[in-house]
Amino acid sequence: MTSQSLHSKDVVIQTPRQKPTARKRSRFDKETITKILFVVPAGLFMVLYFGYPVVKNITMSLQDYTTKTFFTGEAPWVGLQNYATVISSNLFGPAMLNTALFTVGSIIGQFVIGLGLAVFFNRRFPLSGFLRAMLLLPWLLPLIVASATWRSILDQDSGILNQFLGTFGIPAIPWLTSPSVALIAVIIVNIWVGIPFNVTLLYGGLQDIPEELYEAGSLDGATGWKAFWHITWPNLRPVVSVVLVLGVVYTIKVLDIILGLTNGGPANATQTIAVRSYQESFVNFQFGVGAAFSNILILISLVFAIIYLRANRRAVDE
Amino acid sequence: MPPKEGQASNYQLSKGATVKNHAKKHLTKALAVAALVPLALTACGGGGGGNSGGDASTLTLMDYYNNEPDNLAIKKEIESCASEIGVKIEREAVPGKDLIQKVLQKSSSKTLPDILMLDNPDLQEIASTGGLVPLEEFNVNTDGFAQGMLDAGTYEGKVYGLAPTANTLGIFYNKKLLADAGLTPPTTWDELKSTAKALTSGDQYGVAFSAIATYEGAWQFLPFMWTNGGDETNLDSPENKEALQLWKDLVDSGSASKSVINWSQGDVKDQFAAGKAAMMVNGPWQINALNENKDLEWDTVLIPVKEAGQKPVAPLGGEVWTIPETGNKEKQAKAAEFISCFTRDSTQLSLATQRNTIPTKPELADEFIAEKPDMKAFTEQVADARSRTGKLGDGWPKAATTIYTAIQLALTGQASVDDAFKQAAKG
Amino acid sequence: MTTAPVINHAAAQRNKQLRSKGFTVLGIIFLAVMLFPIYWMINASLQPSGNTLNASLLPLNPSFAGYEKAIADQGANLVSSLIISLGTVVVTLVIAAPAAYALAQFKFRWISAGLLAILIAQMIPGVVIANALYAAYNDLGLLNSYVGLILADSTHAIPFAILIMRAFMTSIPASVIEAARVDGAGQVRAFFSIALPIAKNALITAGLFAFLFSWSDFLFALTLTTTDDIRPVTLGIYQYLGTQVSNWSAVMATAVLSSLPAIVLLVIAQKYIAAGATGGAVK
Repeated sequence: MTSQSLHSKDVVIQTPRQKPTARKRSRFDKETITKILFVVPAGLFMVLYFGYPVVKNITMSLQDYTTKTFFTGEAPWVGLQNYATVISSNLFGPAMLNTALFTVGSIIGQFVIGLGLAVFFNRRFPLSGFLRAMLLLPWLLPLIVASATWRSILDQDSGILNQFLGTFGIPAIPWLTSPSVALIAVIIVNIWVGIPFNVTLLYGGLQDIPEELYEAGSLDGATGWKAFWHITWPNLRPVVSVVLVLGVVYTIKVLDIILGLTNGGPANATQTIAVRSYQESFVNFQFGVGAAFSNILILISLVFAIIYLRANRRAVDE
Repeated sequence: MPPKEGQASNYQLSKGATVKNHAKKHLTKALAVAALVPLALTACGGGGGGNSGGDASTLTLMDYYNNEPDNLAIKKEIESCASEIGVKIEREAVPGKDLIQKVLQKSSSKTLPDILMLDNPDLQEIASTGGLVPLEEFNVNTDGFAQGMLDAGTYEGKVYGLAPTANTLGIFYNKKLLADAGLTPPTTWDELKSTAKALTSGDQYGVAFSAIATYEGAWQFLPFMWTNGGDETNLDSPENKEALQLWKDLVDSGSASKSVINWSQGDVKDQFAAGKAAMMVNGPWQINALNENKDLEWDTVLIPVKEAGQKPVAPLGGEVWTIPETGNKEKQAKAAEFISCFTRDSTQLSLATQRNTIPTKPELADEFIAEKPDMKAFTEQVADARSRTGKLGDGWPKAATTIYTAIQLALTGQASVDDAFKQAAKG
Repeated sequence: MTTAPVINHAAAQRNKQLRSKGFTVLGIIFLAVMLFPIYWMINASLQPSGNTLNASLLPLNPSFAGYEKAIADQGANLVSSLIISLGTVVVTLVIAAPAAYALAQFKFRWISAGLLAILIAQMIPGVVIANALYAAYNDLGLLNSYVGLILADSTHAIPFAILIMRAFMTSIPASVIEAARVDGAGQVRAFFSIALPIAKNALITAGLFAFLFSWSDFLFALTLTTTDDIRPVTLGIYQYLGTQVSNWSAVMATAVLSSLPAIVLLVIAQKYIAAGATGGAVK
């Protein structure tokens, strides 16, 4: 093994991109098949567990799909009428805006705090592993329990948060009862829920940055913030972009937290596209309209996904 | 920083090479894992249930009484009716708010249960789909039930569901707090306002109710709206606005917490039980929970009317039992027998006593009050109570959405009481 | 300064120890802030009413009624959750790891399309998937089975695991893999003997998240079970929430209990991450 690894090192350093072409051609077919086999299980799974539901959701959005459909199987085609209903509804504009504010606010909060904690825990100190594991705990809570707990914490009159702020002379904040504050409260709770995800992934990324880079950097005088900008950040980039894109995709469809805390209220101040989709489908039983809402949601995330892939490709090309 | 990047790949190169030494170990581990998968996959396959075929000796049943004490009380009565009519019943109790989703799923996969419990405002929606069978087809006797309850169970002139017991709303008051303040429970809106105001001090509010942005909020508003002569067919009416003004006044004067817009009825009960509200609008299903708190002394009165002399109109709550269209006549006949048994007088009284609900046959009222005197206020209301879907049928959900949205707009100051219903109706 | 290097060294050492203790204290403070809501939940679970309306900061008059009920009702459900979550980890890694490797290292023309598909998969609301699966499972007899739930829960984790492992595997220089291939190793061997060991941390992370996703799943547990045969603990918790009466102390107690086995696993898994990190540093 030792000789092999030495050998491989030599080859790479001398001719990093050169390939033994003759060999490649002779194994071409078998090799391609092997390569394809790597993705077959995942591909199959994706088609069955995602492709089928998506197709179903798209067709549903073009139909008048109501409770009756479940019994009779009949759903008349209505073309784009459901989408027209969605876009012309009074709540569509505010829901779009709230979705944007909720997503951007949550992502910024989760990412900044998450990165800070990841960098902090990247040092080795007594109990660091244990403390980091405990940080994942919020994730283990079923969201209904988390939102019930937060509701009691955020309660305007007897909530512990307002009592705590009160000791500093800050008057009681109507966290969940004022239309102008409720969205902020919902974002705060969502940030709390999302921090463990960000910390764990970013920490994993930090761990994979070789120590030598910092050692070499410190010789050049790069320590502290300088080291972060010139060594940590560039090396963390692939993980950061995944974390951010996944963050957007996950946050944009957040439903349970909002339903649990405010149910879209007070006075529709926390209505998002996801909440609208849920309420149209499972409160008003307008499954076609609900599907149209969720397709709009998918479309928005799709734009993000394409931006991400473009950026990614450019990074690879560099 | 090109030189540093060069370092990185050098480093990783060596790392890759050393890691290779451990490769064999990892390979075997990975193979072991891979080998386990198919084993696990085949080991635990299980069958799902269809129920369309088969003889009528076993019936399936679905309800949402998944919590004590309801669960046990219902279970006992189900079992006793099952043995009486000679069938075995397989019961599934699902979490309440997911019942409808389950029903829809089961209907699309043609696996509806033989007996289905529905919350009464949902019945017309489900009946309109053709998913239920009219009870008269199987000769279920519907005589003697309160008219409101029959209305709730009726779709296009045919009765599809019957309820053994019902519930409604009333005012619960904390006896000690009112006695200490020398007050009597309110009977009119003005009294409600002044009593609530007098009972508000420190972290204690005079009254609590649920104005949440769900059907619960609309349901709690109905007794005020209906008693004042308001109607769901014309929401933007002066009567409805007066009722909304009452709630707005209670919140604005500080007699009710601003948090009412987020409180479910369960939260309202918690506030009352913790002594943070001297009165509350709530239903008899909370009684068992209230009785767990030994220090709490409470009693109930009717929902106050606007002016003395008005007749209170309360909304009718409760669950109806139905026969889904499964295509198996034999089983449906047995299911009809079951529903007759489950809604007869003795079952009504037994369930009402255990669950603090009210028999749906008015003629049982006296007997019931004799046994449960603290249910008097609620029992009186049920005889004339009104169903939510009686007038609008499957148009009720839309009206309810407008009602709770209007309440939210007005109580948070996003719209004036005058504009609230108009604005809410725009959706 | 150069005159007393020994003393200076000792001082630096002491300084370093002090600093690292300071970090521990700081870490505990961060954690305390983050976990306060969880403490508040535990506090609620010990209140007789299951809520904290009148609660003091400490549960001075604890009631264990909620725990008694939870322990009696939920023991078997915890085991079910554990089986499903571990199964999800295995299925996720087996399916996702080769795909991640392929997307990171092979030069397929349709890689972008594949990535896009994976991203879209993440965007689909769970309800949409659950409803479609119910009908299919009903025909296949997969309702109320561990297999059905494990595969469904894997939808939470597989796209995510592919993306995250790919992000780590792209940093393996192609040259390393090429080198192994020159030595006559096939793609399969290169995958098992080079890529997987290097991406060990990513595997653990993906496995960890697969576990957490599956452990906290409620939607599939609700839609894909119709009997009491298999009941994950999240569904057990929801069973305490009636439409009319909710048993909050039992809910909170179950939430606390259901965190325990997961905490143990998390600590163990974190140990492995730490071990991997030190292994890399020591070389």
